[in-house]
Amino acid sequence: MMWRVTIAALIVFACIAFRHVLERDPVTHILVQLPLLILSGALLVPPNTVLAYSWSKGGYALLIIAVTGIAFWMLPRSIDSALSSDLVEVAKFVSLPLFIGVPLKLGWASAHPILRGFLKAEALSMLGVMAFLYTHAPVRICNSYLVSDQERLGYGFLIVIFFVSLLWVTPLFAPRNAFRNSSARTSSVPA
Amino acid sequence: MLMSTPRNHANAVKLTMLLAGVVLILMMAFGLVMRAAQGGLFELDPAFFYRLMTAHGAGMVGVAALTGAAVLWYFVSRYVDLIEGVYWAFLGLFLLGVVLILGSIFVGGYGGAWTFLFPLPAISGGAWEASAAVAFILGYISIGVGFLLFYLEVGRKIVAAYGGIGRALAWPLAFGGAQPDDAPPPTIVAAMATTVFNTIGIVVGATVLVSSLVNLLVPGFAVDALLAKNMIYFFGHVFINASIYMAVIAVYEIVPEYTGKPWKTTRPFALAWTAILLFVMAVYPHHLLQDTVMPAWALVMGQIVSYLSGIPLLVVTAFALCVYLRGSNIRWDLASALLVLGVAGWSVGSAPAIIDGMISVNKLMHNTQWVPGHFHIYLILGEVAMAFGFMAWLVKDARASEFTGIDRLGLGIYLLGGTGFTLMFLISGALSVPRRWAVHAEEWFLQDRIATGFGALVVLGALIFVALYAKGLSARRES
Amino acid sequence: MKAFFASIAAAVFGATFLWNATDGLSALTTESARRIAVVRDNPYVPDVRLETMSGEMERLGVDRKRTVVAEFIYTSCPTICRTGGSYFARLRNQIVAEGLADQVRLISISFDPETDRRAELTQYGNIHDADGAIWTVARARATDLPRLLEAFGVVVISDGFGGFEHNTAMHIVSPDGRLRSVVDFDDVAGALREARKTLQ
Repeated sequence: MMWRVTIAALIVFACIAFRHVLERDPVTHILVQLPLLILSGALLVPPNTVLAYSWSKGGYALLIIAVTGIAFWMLPRSIDSALSSDLVEVAKFVSLPLFIGVPLKLGWASAHPILRGFLKAEALSMLGVMAFLYTHAPVRICNSYLVSDQERLGYGFLIVIFFVSLLWVTPLFAPRNAFRNSSARTSSVPA
Repeated sequence: MLMSTPRNHANAVKLTMLLAGVVLILMMAFGLVMRAAQGGLFELDPAFFYRLMTAHGAGMVGVAALTGAAVLWYFVSRYVDLIEGVYWAFLGLFLLGVVLILGSIFVGGYGGAWTFLFPLPAISGGAWEASAAVAFILGYISIGVGFLLFYLEVGRKIVAAYGGIGRALAWPLAFGGAQPDDAPPPTIVAAMATTVFNTIGIVVGATVLVSSLVNLLVPGFAVDALLAKNMIYFFGHVFINASIYMAVIAVYEIVPEYTGKPWKTTRPFALAWTAILLFVMAVYPHHLLQDTVMPAWALVMGQIVSYLSGIPLLVVTAFALCVYLRGSNIRWDLASALLVLGVAGWSVGSAPAIIDGMISVNKLMHNTQWVPGHFHIYLILGEVAMAFGFMAWLVKDARASEFTGIDRLGLGIYLLGGTGFTLMFLISGALSVPRRWAVHAEEWFLQDRIATGFGALVVLGALIFVALYAKGLSARRES
Repeated sequence: MKAFFASIAAAVFGATFLWNATDGLSALTTESARRIAVVRDNPYVPDVRLETMSGEMERLGVDRKRTVVAEFIYTSCPTICRTGGSYFARLRNQIVAEGLADQVRLISISFDPETDRRAELTQYGNIHDADGAIWTVARARATDLPRLLEAFGVVVISDGFGGFEHNTAMHIVSPDGRLRSVVDFDDVAGALREARKTLQ
């Protein structure tokens, strides 16, 4: 537990200490700093922690909270506000670990495999929407960043999609403990 | 040993097919009204024509996919244990989507065609409000979510049971030295392939749907029209093709009951399905051959893959079916006849499709009725015939004799109507009659009216099939 | 059952939160949020003095007789300010055509006072045929710039090539010195409509 908290603290500290460097470029701001902050929150939760409360059953409530947080930080105006308002910037460093990272990890642990698959597919679609809008928007989406930066960010999303889908799809070709298990029936031969 | 479908799954599928049968008749009736109006048999407000066209397009794609999915679920549940609740969630989300789509069209006035190409949903020239287009897109999203859940359940169970996507696609047999006896059954191979490509299609579809939604809510976020068209046709092509690739599972499972010869996964079969998996996704640029701004390589790829797409279909399913039928003393009845018709219609329909897939032809033909000609063959004489065949088979044991007079009558009417109706589209296309026109020139009235006559026969045939099915269902309930 | 209610509660909370965060799903960007806020709040603009291309000091803000349509530019801008200028010229022509010449004032305000001196402002005016009667080109004093840009919601950042990127729009300020609305830089009809509203 101790070392996970230490690493989480180190990540948050690094994100704050290097925030000017990271936030100068939207690619590092959105595709490096924000995910790191979420990761730091997830690190606070020990592996395989399943909350035993009845309200958290299935992980739905927790995951909805996390998705709300992600949706908020997907808004271009939230990113702009973080850069122009210190209050929002502080809220960013607090909310990403605590309101996204922690509930995401907790909810994921008790989520049904279909819910997990659904969230993965939706995540890819939403990354696709971001890539689509940022590479092709005829308007400036973030006042704080240049149009050329916004286009690079769009391609950054595409690269993320590529690697994330690789990460998620590869195991489907060689699932663990699943070779010909009991529920497989092979014959369709009529008698 | 014949495994039977668990009763709860079977009942859910039977209900689905009844709903689908009713929707099919309604959609066919919409089509009939449009053809009759084009033929000048009565006046139809063009705005209403385009609403009907949108409902007909979205409805037929939806119901084709629904029947395909029902076939898949029915037979896959023989091999792996599927969660029944997922199917009900799928059906519920599907129906919610239908309500939203019908509301957007007939209450909101949306008439931007099932392809919702940007910027038509957003810029209607006052024909409908953005809210109607939003409802239409939300309806698609609801249906897409339903299908996603469906495929996640089917996919994860097959992956777990057969040891991964590759094994479920029979790659050890296709590319390694494995024996056919160790390969998964044809149903599993087909279900795995459709699950993979349709899940990808849905993820891409969700991307473009949400982007369009953002554009409708916040018009400043303009969508790139060409990229959106690429994504929409990728999604649309994959989705409508998946319906027929799912429905063909009924042929693999049911025809052996009639011939007594099991349908086996062979090496060509495994190779063909892997080829289909790739071709279905790579061929979509043949819908964009008239978009001169597309990169040339994409269009050339579309044409080449169009040629190639026919091969796995014709060689493996159609040719194999001929081999299975040859020399077997098949018992003909409504189910077997419609299933064989489905494969035949599908094969025949690929001919005008491949012709239209040629860039030089497409430049002249794509906006003529040639194109609806080809996809109406795929549907009326292909996918929908398979769906009716599956329905007939579902209630087979409730009916007294093998191939009754009314069966033959329905089949004859449907076959005659379907052939004549689609032929009139092809002939009109060859005569350069444009597609998607609400009002036709008087010179085209003759073909339109002949087509209307044949179309009425199709509706009549479908009515007979659905009535026989409903009668069969109620007979089973009483017994 | 508790899990169901907790999920519903989370969903209601999430939807409300996002609804508020996007002004009812209508503003996803800072720019669109600003426009909504302007229409709602009609904020006073700072009463700064602008130096016009003819060398006069002109007040922006209270006690004007005319409605002001303002845009923010820098004269060495190679891209959007140029097209923006041509839309401003069209707007000027419309104003003349509709007999509003003595009721609406157009000002292109430079946010780059170091580079844009009178000569540059005049040259920019000449290119777009702004003669100072209805439409003038002016620069803000460096000391006034931050609060001026803040009030109009204009963000200027360096493009790394010696120029700037900035959000471009037409800002309609009523004679009492309040910002009434912000429309797209190419929305001539919209600017005219909004300007008319301030005259009634």
